[in-house]
Amino acid sequence: MASGNGTLQGKVVIVTGGGTGLGKMTALLMAKEGADVVVAARRVGAIEQTAQEVRDIGPRALAISTDVTDPSQVNNLVKRTIEEMGGLDVLVNNAGIVRGQARRPLWEVTDDEWRIGIDTNLSGTFYCCRAAIKHFVDQGHGKIINIASGNGMRGSRGDFMYGTAKAGVINFTRVLATTFAQDNIQVNCIAPGFVDVTQLQPEPRAGGMTRNAQYIPVGRFGVPEDIGHLALFLASDASDYITGGLFPNDGGGLAGGISPTGYAPVIAMEEE
Amino acid sequence: MVAKDFELSGKVALVAGDSKYWSKYAGAALAEAGANVAFAARNAKRIEEAAGEVSQRGQKTLTITTDMTDASQVQKMVDQVVSEFGRIDILANANDLQFAKPFLDTLESEWHKMFSANLDPVFHCCQAVGRQMVKQGKGRIINLISCMAERGVENCSAYGAAMGGVLQLTRALDIEWAKHGITINAIGTGWMSETEKTGAPQEELLLKYIPVKRYGHPREVGSLLVYLASDTTDFFTGQLLYVDGAAMSHL
Repeated sequence: MASGNGTLQGKVVIVTGGGTGLGKMTALLMAKEGADVVVAARRVGAIEQTAQEVRDIGPRALAISTDVTDPSQVNNLVKRTIEEMGGLDVLVNNAGIVRGQARRPLWEVTDDEWRIGIDTNLSGTFYCCRAAIKHFVDQGHGKIINIASGNGMRGSRGDFMYGTAKAGVINFTRVLATTFAQDNIQVNCIAPGFVDVTQLQPEPRAGGMTRNAQYIPVGRFGVPEDIGHLALFLASDASDYITGGLFPNDGGGLAGGISPTGYAPVIAMEEE
Repeated sequence: MVAKDFELSGKVALVAGDSKYWSKYAGAALAEAGANVAFAARNAKRIEEAAGEVSQRGQKTLTITTDMTDASQVQKMVDQVVSEFGRIDILANANDLQFAKPFLDTLESEWHKMFSANLDPVFHCCQAVGRQMVKQGKGRIINLISCMAERGVENCSAYGAAMGGVLQLTRALDIEWAKHGITINAIGTGWMSETEKTGAPQEELLLKYIPVKRYGHPREVGSLLVYLASDTTDFFTGQLLYVDGAAMSHL
């Protein structure tokens, strides 16, 4: 028995990149609310593990090894999901991240690195949406949740492919939302900040802050639940009027960011 | 020297507002491009100095000491500029009373002062000059504001809220006045100073963080101001543009 309130009971969800981290947490949180989950990623061991944990919660689960940069594998993922699970209601495009960041001088970035970074983080989302959306149109409903990044909204030094691809994901979300608004398909985008996918205890704010944590106003890294719960909300009926939205979930980082954390000027008011 | 297409020869600009240095640098840039420039602010000495920059460049100028928080004084000032120069092509609102204090310690009087000093003058000037520009069927308004209109900085809540008010007024008037040929844009400035160092607390921390690793100089805002004031920007309105050393691009 799923341990939640059944708000996703009877829904079938695909989570790409569902073997680890945010994707895995999203799969488990949706399963607790009753969703049947198809876990897709390249590594078979990890997706089998997530699928088993979904079944332990209660709903049905399927692990389908998929490289989202390969359109035929993506088409197969959607086809098998519909055949074996009996439908598809929600697509979570979470795959990406790993191969996108060069952090080397731009002139050393090879054509292949560029293409792989863009393919994994942007084209993969396109392939998955293309494969699923005709089904959504035909059935008269569907939800897509794209996982982008704060790096797609601002520049991070040396982050050429990942940030650029994620910016593409953000606007692809808006274009899809606009195009399919009248088909009852909601398309939204989550922009996580720095998320600690290793589930390690975030380091305290005073002393020993890592380079990235110092940009986070709440003083801690995000945890996969932070993102997973937002995805859960966007997958549920509660969000039926929300589409084309961009939801940063970043500990407040994007609201500030023009000064370093800890910079707190005091300026007396000048009288003339 | 500005590009030919950006020249403001024969145009009348009004730089209105109390700020430490914007009237001087905005006035110099507009005059350099060929505009005659009137100044209005409460601080007579400051606008006299700004007027000096204009006459040095061979353009006509006028200073009118005005309490920008008083609508009737602003209306009188605008009437005077129109009677001297015949029209107002360009309005640059340049108010910048800075203030930073923890929010919980901020007095109500300080909160109101932020709005009366930074937002109310823009309201008054846009009304008084706006009437003239609607009559002319053309006008350019440029609001000088801070990046804190869009982003938070610790202790800068009241200041940021007032600057955010100017930004939203900019966007709203863009919609309302587009049909009258009036464009209205905002320039968001980052960390500015006339000197390389200011000696302010936490200066090193801040300068290390800004991508260009230095303050902007207020004169670096002039070229964008002139561009927005020029005849090439009929289709360019309702926007916020930054002069900030990449502070707003930074993750």
